[in-house]
Amino acid sequence: MAATDRDGSALAALVHAALALPILALPAKAGAAAVGEVGVTLLGYKERGLMKITEPVIWGRVQFAEVWEVQASAAVDIITGASPQLVSNALGKPVQTITGASISDRRNTGDLKVTRRFGDLALSASRTLSKEEDYHSKAFGLEARLDLNQRNTTIAAGYGKSNDRILSADDPNLNERRDTREYLAGVTQVISPTSLVQSTITWARGTGWYNDPYKLTFTFFDAGLPILAPDRRPDHRDTLAWLTRYRAHFPAAHGTLQADYRFYRDDWGIRAHTLEVAWQQELNERWALRPALRYYTQDAADFYSPTVPRPQPPVQSSDQRLGAWGGVSPSLRATWRLDRLTLEATLGYVHNARNLRFGGGGADAFETLRAWYGIVGATHSF
Amino acid sequence: MKRTRFAILLVAAATLAGCVAVQPYQRGYLAREDMALEANPGTMKALEKTYSAKEAASGGASVGGGGCGCN
Amino acid sequence: MAAENEVQIHSEDARLAEEAAGRAIEEVARIEAKYSRYRDDSVVARINSRAGGAPVALDAETRALLAFADACFRQSSGAFDATSGVLRRAWRFDGGAVPTDAELAPLLALIGWGKVELNDAGARLPLAGMELDFGGFGKEYAVDRAARVLRDAGLRSAMVNLAGDLAILGPQPGDAPWRVGIRHPRRADALLATLPVSSGAIATSGDYERYIEAGGVRHCHVLDPRTGRSARGFQSVTVHAPTCLVAGSATTIAMLKGGRDGLAWLDMLGLTHLCVLESGEVVNRFGG
Repeated sequence: MAATDRDGSALAALVHAALALPILALPAKAGAAAVGEVGVTLLGYKERGLMKITEPVIWGRVQFAEVWEVQASAAVDIITGASPQLVSNALGKPVQTITGASISDRRNTGDLKVTRRFGDLALSASRTLSKEEDYHSKAFGLEARLDLNQRNTTIAAGYGKSNDRILSADDPNLNERRDTREYLAGVTQVISPTSLVQSTITWARGTGWYNDPYKLTFTFFDAGLPILAPDRRPDHRDTLAWLTRYRAHFPAAHGTLQADYRFYRDDWGIRAHTLEVAWQQELNERWALRPALRYYTQDAADFYSPTVPRPQPPVQSSDQRLGAWGGVSPSLRATWRLDRLTLEATLGYVHNARNLRFGGGGADAFETLRAWYGIVGATHSF
Repeated sequence: MKRTRFAILLVAAATLAGCVAVQPYQRGYLAREDMALEANPGTMKALEKTYSAKEAASGGASVGGGGCGCN
Repeated sequence: MAAENEVQIHSEDARLAEEAAGRAIEEVARIEAKYSRYRDDSVVARINSRAGGAPVALDAETRALLAFADACFRQSSGAFDATSGVLRRAWRFDGGAVPTDAELAPLLALIGWGKVELNDAGARLPLAGMELDFGGFGKEYAVDRAARVLRDAGLRSAMVNLAGDLAILGPQPGDAPWRVGIRHPRRADALLATLPVSSGAIATSGDYERYIEAGGVRHCHVLDPRTGRSARGFQSVTVHAPTCLVAGSATTIAMLKGGRDGLAWLDMLGLTHLCVLESGEVVNRFGG
């Protein structure tokens, strides 16, 4: 036998002799289950006649030294087009009006999350920064997750704090703050080898400036002068969001059911329900298709009004995001996978209208929203 | 608030009662990508932007995400 | 030694999986019976009982296995020797003493793969008292055959594990690798490492299975046919190869070469390995 055998003939001799027997040569693949992934995503969103958003995102996740995981992402929102600024009843019924020139806004955002495992316990700390011309946000979060029952049950608890600063592109004197504290409690439970459920509650208490500096209500009355009222909202907001997610795989059908339901309420009088149901169908080893349908419904805030009430109250807003309405959004996602690369393309449509509100009775002056969006993404794992 | 809390406990108890203890070697299906509770971070951010900018509701399964002008 | 034998299968067809597993287990039992040195009716017993006498006719399977043993002998410069089984007459690992040179000498005279006559007539051991021992590769062959049976049944995600010698057909559902735990050579209930393996065979040899500790030196059951003494230099060797036969013979040959020589040989061979040297130093070539 040669002292140095670079051409691999020793191995070849052994393998050749072994394969004279009725056995298989199995490719020796030791997959390090991925240590991390990086990805890029691009969102294109277009409302009929109104706003257009382009958002590139870059993100990454890495695990190292067995107990550490770092996750980071950065995104830029590029918004162009028009946004309803004024609700006026000059023509009889209150309607949304676009005033002023098209806006062009950019928002830069980045976040970082570090997690360390201590056996069944994982502790995380995260930081998120967001900056646009008229809104700066700094937030941090702490989270603890504990695995129980051989990882069949996981409980989670979290605390977060945001410090936001609100400015105005129109008014250089506006410089207000808003601080929010959030609390989270949740449980994830494996139900069977093919299904699991997660339920999480998040409470938030915020104080500060909630008014929208760009929205106005212009109301004409039968008698008396018309009133142009700025958007005025309470100086605090308590919210509760309860999100439950269910996943079930059906091996015989080569598909997975994904269902999410979120209940939301806050002390502004808004109650909202979100339900999304999706079916991920595996077509073959490479391709999967995911049709989904999302339904959303919300009640109006107590102080929502498309016209200024008389006597004029201290808080009032005609912003249709605080009105009563409902929306459906169907979407379709195609996924293509090869080795360590995954490509994803999603096409979605959003239709928000007052008559889609559950139980009817949607807000007057609600401008029906019709928007298309497309998301393309590539992920590489290593 | 109370009604909500009670409903949660009910859901939790009901699901736990119907559960089997899944052994580590039976977790193959649970590790599938389509069984994950969230899509990849890029897609999640894009979807969040699309919907939350128009809706009053916010919040999901995490804290410390900060806010935006969303005008 | 607690030896766990198992077949794990992922399949959407439970009945197919059960039938295939049953056949794989039957195949393991067949090979074990055919080449067992404990059974009077085995091929090995027949060859050994005719040592010094007439040749024994061989079937294709036995001929090919002996050809494999021959390839191992040549690639290891004589360290891997299927006639070294006679040494167990001198080595009693359950509480015996280290044998003396005088006790080993007559046994060494009966060892020598080069002396074995293999031709069209069959196999013949020229000296009475010589023995063929398939222990060095019989179990590994059984693992490979069981894996073949499962693959022929159409299964794509399965693992056959016979007391630590295993073969994996393909990854678990979701493309997840199997997690193979490698026993720690010195700590009974601990793992040295957990290797993520998507396909291929894994075999491990170590100095911790059966041994005699005397005068601060560990004498393990892996014996060098040229000296009759225990292999030195490694606490454990694990190799990842396309077949369990190759993985198993690679670990045995590496153990016999020992220490730095063994590491050099494994590097030359080009197979991924995880070794613990006698000093406790770990050399891990898994995961790049």
